[in-house]
Amino acid sequence: MGHRAGIDIDLDTSERWPSSVHAARRFILEGIAGASAVDEPQAERERISRADEPPVLAVPEPIEPGRFRAIDVSPAESRRATGFGGFLDGTQEVRVTNWCAGIPIVWGTVGAAVLSRVNRRLVAWPRLGPLANKRYYLPFRYVTGMQPELAVHPDVVDTGAADSSGAFPTRHPAALLERAFQAVQRDRERLEQTLAEHWCERESTALYIDGSITMSAAASSPLAVGVIKSHRTLYADGGAFDVVMGLKSGKRTTVFRVKPRSRQSVGSFYVRTRNPAGHDALFGLIRVEISESDDISARADEITRWIINEGSPLAMPDARWDRMSYGISETDEFLRAIS
Amino acid sequence: MTSPLGRVVATERRPNTPHEFHFWTALDSPVGIGTIVRVDGANPVDGQIPHVYGIVVEGFSYTDLQSPMHDVLGYDGVPGNAGYAVTERTEIRLYSAAVLRQIPDEPLQPVPMGEVFLAEQEDVAIALRMDSYLKEGASTGIPIGVYRAGATDSVIYLDADFLIGPEAAHLNISGVSGLATKTSAVEWLLKSVFTHFPESKGSIAAVCFNVKGPDLCYLDLPGRIDERDRELYEKMGVAAEPFDRVSYFAPYTAKGFQLNTLRSNEQLTHNVTPLTWGLREVLQFAEVLLNRDDVDAKADALIDFISERVVDTRIDADGYLSRSHTVQSFADLEDWFRDLLRGMEAKNSESWRTHHIATIRKVRNRLSNISTRCAGLVTDSGDVSDLPFGSFEDRTVYVVDVASLEEDAQDLIFARVVSKLREHLERRTLGVSHLIVFVDELNKYAPGDGQDTYVRKMLLDISERGRYLGLVLFSAQQFRSQVHRRVVGNSGTALYGRMDADELATPGYSVLSQATRTKLATLEKGQLMVRHPHFTQPIFVRFPRPMVMLGRDGAELYPQASEVSFEVALYRALRPLDDSITVQWAAKMIALYDEADIMKARNATLLARPANARGYFESQFRRKVPVEAVASAASESQKVPVRTLPVDDPYAF
Repeated sequence: MGHRAGIDIDLDTSERWPSSVHAARRFILEGIAGASAVDEPQAERERISRADEPPVLAVPEPIEPGRFRAIDVSPAESRRATGFGGFLDGTQEVRVTNWCAGIPIVWGTVGAAVLSRVNRRLVAWPRLGPLANKRYYLPFRYVTGMQPELAVHPDVVDTGAADSSGAFPTRHPAALLERAFQAVQRDRERLEQTLAEHWCERESTALYIDGSITMSAAASSPLAVGVIKSHRTLYADGGAFDVVMGLKSGKRTTVFRVKPRSRQSVGSFYVRTRNPAGHDALFGLIRVEISESDDISARADEITRWIINEGSPLAMPDARWDRMSYGISETDEFLRAIS
Repeated sequence: MTSPLGRVVATERRPNTPHEFHFWTALDSPVGIGTIVRVDGANPVDGQIPHVYGIVVEGFSYTDLQSPMHDVLGYDGVPGNAGYAVTERTEIRLYSAAVLRQIPDEPLQPVPMGEVFLAEQEDVAIALRMDSYLKEGASTGIPIGVYRAGATDSVIYLDADFLIGPEAAHLNISGVSGLATKTSAVEWLLKSVFTHFPESKGSIAAVCFNVKGPDLCYLDLPGRIDERDRELYEKMGVAAEPFDRVSYFAPYTAKGFQLNTLRSNEQLTHNVTPLTWGLREVLQFAEVLLNRDDVDAKADALIDFISERVVDTRIDADGYLSRSHTVQSFADLEDWFRDLLRGMEAKNSESWRTHHIATIRKVRNRLSNISTRCAGLVTDSGDVSDLPFGSFEDRTVYVVDVASLEEDAQDLIFARVVSKLREHLERRTLGVSHLIVFVDELNKYAPGDGQDTYVRKMLLDISERGRYLGLVLFSAQQFRSQVHRRVVGNSGTALYGRMDADELATPGYSVLSQATRTKLATLEKGQLMVRHPHFTQPIFVRFPRPMVMLGRDGAELYPQASEVSFEVALYRALRPLDDSITVQWAAKMIALYDEADIMKARNATLLARPANARGYFESQFRRKVPVEAVASAASESQKVPVRTLPVDDPYAF
């Protein structure tokens, strides 16, 4: 196979590693015999990138005294009052760049960044810059003709390895794609965790984290505050359902414990940031995760006030503006700009 | 090495070109409209890292807000709530810059991505191509002002070869009235030219026509400037002093007693010379005063005949003229006309030397009233007091004050003075090799529309051909768009002070960006936008106030002499020449002689400027014996009693 302009299979040189989807596609053509390039349509791309969990209703386990209820949080003394000094968000993109005998070769791009607030303006956190990875995800056992250098490259991830139960994935392309997607997601979470942990070690203000903190060691830090905007799992079974759905703007629910399997236990509560009148039931509804502590009620109140204050300026034009803070929206924009 | 203040950006929708690029900066960067910047390219072209110099012509600021409505919603419709937001929206300062110069010049490519730096002093010189004429020992730079941005404080030089000639020449300045920017800028620039015009290029002087107010009447008196202005003078190497050599010229008032100028205060008249012309001087420019309806081909032919065959020529009596005539003044001309017409009427003749009697009557009528229309300037007697054509001095300003004159007289003065300057420069006999003529109110003298006038033709001629002679036009007006296009078009250098918004809306300014036009509409006093052949884009500079007395200050400190009696006027006119002259002496002379003779003698004395002015003045008259003296002598010598009538005189009553 002839050498093509812009392609260099010298894997020892990290500078030669593909930096774009197009380059990644051509790189595989060089590195795996028999691979074919593919440019999946936009709709397919979005389908691959979305891992829809089934909607689940879970029973909340209150850790605050009293029954599960809506709690009125007195407004902050100042609309500028906030304890958040930074915003953490991550991003991922999954692209099928090539197919090799029916096996998908996935190119995943993940990134995470913290924007810290200085004089009311957001800047990249100077202590640890944005983190990013661009990696291939492919099942080694099913891909033939792969150059040996690829198999040992740290940015080529084997998605065909056995899981914790010792089972290998099937050859089914959808199953392999699902595996690859999970691997990419893990990579993103790893980057986010790294940043969150660094923040909690080095800073003294709270970090607004987009998403759950239960998988991170930072979950035990009082500085880490996870904010979940999607509610595939709704902790509102039974009588709690009416409380959560009827939650009014500026109110929170009782703090309850969330302890996913093999993850950290955290205190959690719902907050309605905006008046849902005229909108769907989940409009303005977020779930907050914080570390468990003795004064969890007071902390929940305080963080609720901070989060409500972070609703300004609006995160428009993001479609999730009702639940998203401007800081996270900016971090998201920042990641898009640098990735 | 300074740190970059911006980065070049380009998108498909807004790409960079070889003549324009875009960059963003931090919110607190010192960049603004008119700032000069340097882009350092990242990739070498032909082995050389490209450097691009540009001037900011447009600025944009926006946030990530997609719709204003989002902001309204975000703050619940209460503007005050925005101040309470915990975070301010991300904001961008995006600028567009016009390319001033690219190094290397070839190949001319679109501006590359790269870091943007504030131009330093040496960058400004390169960007404006000043490096080509500021060479050590052969500099032709004339400081026009200082460009300031951030820490950069750079003198901007015009190239004398392109300001005074011969490569290009002329300067035009526009700006709204009332800010004194136009006059101040010209006064400052004249001072700068006089200081920095290279000696190797010859001598230079200026003739300024003061067409309104007292602005140019105190150029030799010190003004008030502040410390900031002094620093500018020092930085540009110009002495903060008034002009040391200034001569003023002004005609008399209609009465002819005193000079028709705001600089008529007794303390300032030492360098004011009367400007008076006779028939010979005026006839050549009769066209200036006669409109097209007056001067048809026949009248024109008669005027030419009079100029060539009548004036200064002895004309003997013939069948028409009853006596011989030597026409040297308007009075002589009138005598000649009267005699000729009487002769023609007596003979019932319709023509004289092919000229019809009606044409003769018409020309007589038009020419005879010139001395009335331009009274004070044009004398019946033919006395002449003029600018020192032939002995102009280097670095001297000659101010011709026509501010208080009627339009006809202004036009006549302008036409004749400029023609004479041109004639002398053509013959290299003016006394200086370069001459700047400053004319304000160009809207009036060279309008873009309306009838073609003699003055406009002259201005066009200077602007198109003057640079070859060393005759340079510095002109000013409020509305550049209303001045003849060829006059402003031939001005190699153009200055703009604060401009009127309506004027900026005219097509002539469409080459400027909206932001540049906005800046022009809000320019501070002392700021100018400069266009010069070496500068590919207009540059904004700051210039110091001229170190000369402001017109209004001068008018307050040295009020104009009030209309005085003839004897006081005579005393004031001659006293600077001779200390022995008193008002009593002047009154005595006026009592002895006719007013016209007195004025003639005064003019002759002022022109000659003799050591003994009193004696010279008196020598202009035939000796007259005072009436009292005669009576007294008679009584002493004769004492003859009056004879009485005889008592028996039969014819007595």
